[in-house]
Amino acid sequence: MDFLGNCPQYIANGLANGCIYILVAMGFNIVFNSTGIINFAQGEFCMFGGLLAYTLAASLGLPLPLAIPLALASTAIIGAAMERLLVYPLRRAGALVAIIATIGASIFFKSLGRVLWPKEAYKVPEFTAGNISLPGATVSRQFLWVFGLTILSVTAVYLFFNHTKAGKAMRACSVNRFAASLVGINVMRMSLYSFVLAAALGGLAGLINAPYASYSMGLFLGVKGFTSAVVGGLGNTFGAVTGGIVLGLLEELIPGFLTVVLGVSTGYKDAVAAILLIAVLLLRPQGILGRGVVEKV
Amino acid sequence: MLEVKGLSAFYGNIEALRAVDLWARAGRITTIIGANGAGKTTLLRAISGLVPVRYGEVRYVGQNITNLEPHRIVKMGISHVPEGRQVFSSMRVEDNLLLGAYLRSRRRSGGEIKKDLQMVYDVFPVLEERKDQMAGTLSGGEQQMLAIGRALMSKPRLLLLDEPSMGLAPLVIRDIFACLKRLHDEGLTLLLVEQDAQIALSVSDYGYVMRAGKMRMEGEARELLGREEIKSLYLGEEAVEGEEGGHGDKI
Repeated sequence: MDFLGNCPQYIANGLANGCIYILVAMGFNIVFNSTGIINFAQGEFCMFGGLLAYTLAASLGLPLPLAIPLALASTAIIGAAMERLLVYPLRRAGALVAIIATIGASIFFKSLGRVLWPKEAYKVPEFTAGNISLPGATVSRQFLWVFGLTILSVTAVYLFFNHTKAGKAMRACSVNRFAASLVGINVMRMSLYSFVLAAALGGLAGLINAPYASYSMGLFLGVKGFTSAVVGGLGNTFGAVTGGIVLGLLEELIPGFLTVVLGVSTGYKDAVAAILLIAVLLLRPQGILGRGVVEKV
Repeated sequence: MLEVKGLSAFYGNIEALRAVDLWARAGRITTIIGANGAGKTTLLRAISGLVPVRYGEVRYVGQNITNLEPHRIVKMGISHVPEGRQVFSSMRVEDNLLLGAYLRSRRRSGGEIKKDLQMVYDVFPVLEERKDQMAGTLSGGEQQMLAIGRALMSKPRLLLLDEPSMGLAPLVIRDIFACLKRLHDEGLTLLLVEQDAQIALSVSDYGYVMRAGKMRMEGEARELLGREEIKSLYLGEEAVEGEEGGHGDKI
């Protein structure tokens, strides 16, 4: 096997994973922007998306065009409930307290997932089964859905934040919460909306990440999504895109190189995210596209 | 128009405002002067719902608005230009102004909002020249104009201004106050907080003097300008500044 010959396949796989990471990373960004907290339960939104899609489509037998919106809406409601029951009551306690509370929520969601869906893995139906052969690579048809829905989501999120009144108000909260409340923006309402949006994006990531979903997938996707958000520049939509693609590609190319050229085991795939995160935090803490935190005194 | 009675507010356990009374009459410019740390900013923030009121009452056109949420108070017609301007620095100037009209429905009053935007541009032509720039790239004076313009976009009846002169060159301060005077002539009621007592009292109708969280003096602005103790304490001599240390010092 030669490394270069395998590259198209690595790149195709990397882009497919990268798309999922982008969706998760955007969820981190949206919540961070309007509330200033990192929501460590973001990965569990993916878990709910995937497992609810399984329950609705595979066990209850609903058609996919109905099951998917229902799974997304239910995940969004879980996000809203989390904001109202956990983040809202802690609004005066400071960001750090709220962040620690989201870790608690993540553990709770995961345990709940384990009770409701105890098996190690559930098969989430693909939108369209089968594979497509490209020169040098084979990709599943699902990949086209992943790619298309990611582009659609990124575009929608971008347009929402830059061209709608509600989106601009949410951005205003991230730029200056104090001034946002002065012009009459209900800052806590924006916090609620951000959790709804982030949960829906996370749910989407979880359910298009076919074919398998499990109660433990949240940690994995949460870490990858968080890494992508930080690598690209926390809070920045295009940063999430950059970070997700960089991480997705490196995760395929580096282990591929190690295995094929050096003959080392591929067990190191997940270490790539950790190393990338540490490297970016050391060398460019504001992220690839970040402009850094400017504080005027 | 606005009446504050026996208002007390705390920062932690420190009493920042002690039983403050204030009356801002409709159609007038009322000014609160006082040194740093006297509690002027806290008072304005308590009025707009940004700092909780522990005791006392804030009434606005006959209604009790004590401790209402900030967005409700904006909706009732009170707009607050904060200390240090607080513009949305990484957003366009025009978006800053439109966010000022956040609570007004675009469907019902879209035309009016456009008219008000043009009115703000007429008062501050420099904002129209820079409407596509990021607000953070404006000079201090321009940001102050933007903060005032943003506050006007909610169509307030009462405008609260916190230190509009802060950090600005004397010529710019004169411009800003000329604009405030013009807004007042068009029917807006102003409640102004200032360290620069000279310029504030010279445009005002009525004045209060605050010190260590309490109202110490009040009177017609012209009469206050003439009082000896005001002249020595707040007009000119900077030497007294150090006297006002914490919020709660006994004098």
